Amino acid sequence: MKPTIHAEQLTRRYGSNVALDHVDVSIPSGRIVGVIGPNGAGKTTALKAILGLTRFEGTLEVLGLDPSKDRDELMQDVCFIADVAVLPRWAKVWQIIELTEKLHPRFSREQCMKYLARTKIRQSAKVRTLSKGMVVQLHLALVMAIDAKLLVLDEPTLGLDILFRKQFYSSLLNEYFDEQRTILITTHQVEEVEHILTDLIFIKDGKFIVNSAMDEIYERYTELMVAPDAIDDARRLGPIHERVLFGRHILLFDNADIDALQTLGEIHKPNIADLFVALMGEKESTEEAA
Amino acid sequence: MNTTALTRLTILIRRELWESPVAFKWTPAIIGGFILVLIVLALIIGAKVDNQMIFAIDGLRMYATMDDSQQRLISSGALFSIGALFHQIMFLVVIFYLAGCLYDDRRDRSILYWKSLPVSDTITVGSKILTACVAAPLTFLAGIVVTQLLLLIIASGYGLAAGINVFTEIWMPANLPRIWLLTLYGSLVQSLWLLPIYAWLMFCSSWAPRLPILMAVLVPVVIGMFQHFWSFFSNFQLPEHNLLWMLLLRIGQGVLPSSVEWQQIVDESQNSGSTYRPSDEMLMSFQSVNGYLMNWEMWAGIAIGLVLLAAAVWFRRRATDS
Repeated sequence: MKPTIHAEQLTRRYGSNVALDHVDVSIPSGRIVGVIGPNGAGKTTALKAILGLTRFEGTLEVLGLDPSKDRDELMQDVCFIADVAVLPRWAKVWQIIELTEKLHPRFSREQCMKYLARTKIRQSAKVRTLSKGMVVQLHLALVMAIDAKLLVLDEPTLGLDILFRKQFYSSLLNEYFDEQRTILITTHQVEEVEHILTDLIFIKDGKFIVNSAMDEIYERYTELMVAPDAIDDARRLGPIHERVLFGRHILLFDNADIDALQTLGEIHKPNIADLFVALMGEKESTEEAA
Repeated sequence: MNTTALTRLTILIRRELWESPVAFKWTPAIIGGFILVLIVLALIIGAKVDNQMIFAIDGLRMYATMDDSQQRLISSGALFSIGALFHQIMFLVVIFYLAGCLYDDRRDRSILYWKSLPVSDTITVGSKILTACVAAPLTFLAGIVVTQLLLLIIASGYGLAAGINVFTEIWMPANLPRIWLLTLYGSLVQSLWLLPIYAWLMFCSSWAPRLPILMAVLVPVVIGMFQHFWSFFSNFQLPEHNLLWMLLLRIGQGVLPSSVEWQQIVDESQNSGSTYRPSDEMLMSFQSVNGYLMNWEMWAGIAIGLVLLAAAVWFRRRATDS
């Protein structure tokens, strides 16, 4: 089967600034991919290229279509929430639902109503009068009611309370996701999504520095909580990152010898946030953490 | 065009009407209300001055004795001037609507929502120009129809008081269906006549980083002034073709319900000599509106309009929130 997203040498320049630097990527269907990167790393540019919202160099195919040429056709099977709430502020809730229903062949009003019933949003309300979080809830309800093959969520839960965020990710995983679909998520709240991701992409300065399945990541990276007396031995094994928590040193290893590590302390799966800091962080931030 | 494209176009035009209720719903309602209030005020003041309303009733009785063509001239003149007021304000409303229509959603970033829908940029641009050219004339026509009906009903009240046959003397000469059909036809032809200007506004709206209306006005003004001075200082004469002047002529020579066919009047009065009597044929008629469609300037303007619309689609395709 063809991959959902396939890019070769994908590049986007803004003047002399390179937002995407010759990226190769292939994402099959049935994945939930987290795209993580610091501000200005090129996340949004990558997503915009995939959605046909920006020009690019190189080749890019999404569901077999070129997004820069066939955006309208592509949107039959793709839906997205780009950044924070962008629903038209003049519209009333029922008008947006009506519009989406008439314009999107795969929209289910019934599904949308089901999601909206969990919120306090009234149909007669204007988007302008809704709180930021409610606008996001409305947008999520619209998007989840579309039977799409690719769902792109750029910071989908910004401004939402913890309760709704948990609920959202659980319904995304349990009610929405299946083998036919691919979901692409960017977020700064990594801890919230890491348990639902199947794949992980780290972007830094326009390059994909990590692009692998979660299983591979857990196989490759190991976290060691070092026994107090073994710290020098552990450091000799070449950790890629070190931090201190309650006086215990925690070291992160790339492709380390598990047996050797086990003699030096407790072994854990690293969490993504720590991995992110280790791989992205400049020298200063590592020192701050230490 | 297949049915899905048509349903999409319909809902997109409804969206435009939802977005600008003041422009398309409230403005015609307010103009109608304004005209009615003025007339009712005039009648109240009239009733104060002239206790038994002798003046109004005498006037109506005199009107009843005129022949049919004179009655038609007076009633269609009055009805068309109501239509003209609506249409002049509609022109202003449409100018502001078009200047904002491809700009506002870029500014408030809702373009990211619109672009997430499977709608091509051509249909988006098409729905907006159709809103200006067809939907706006229709909602303003509704305002015209209601205002004209209410006025004739008021006139009929006075007519009954004057003891004239309201049906044959007021409603028959008014011939409302003809007036309405003609007003609609005229306004659609007017939309085509103004298409180059409408398309220019949309074109500016599609790319202007800010203040599209100012861009749309400034560019022709600056070019026109430049042409003017260039020609004046290089040849010591005014330019033959001045962009600004052409635009103003285009607006001034459009189809309005109050347009009077001066040329026709001159011709006819010369032919018939002193026996010429003005009739309602000197006002807007199907024939005079058809004349616009026969004009090469009409088709040149439509061609320019289509090129500008295509350019607007091109910019729309590249537009995002930033």
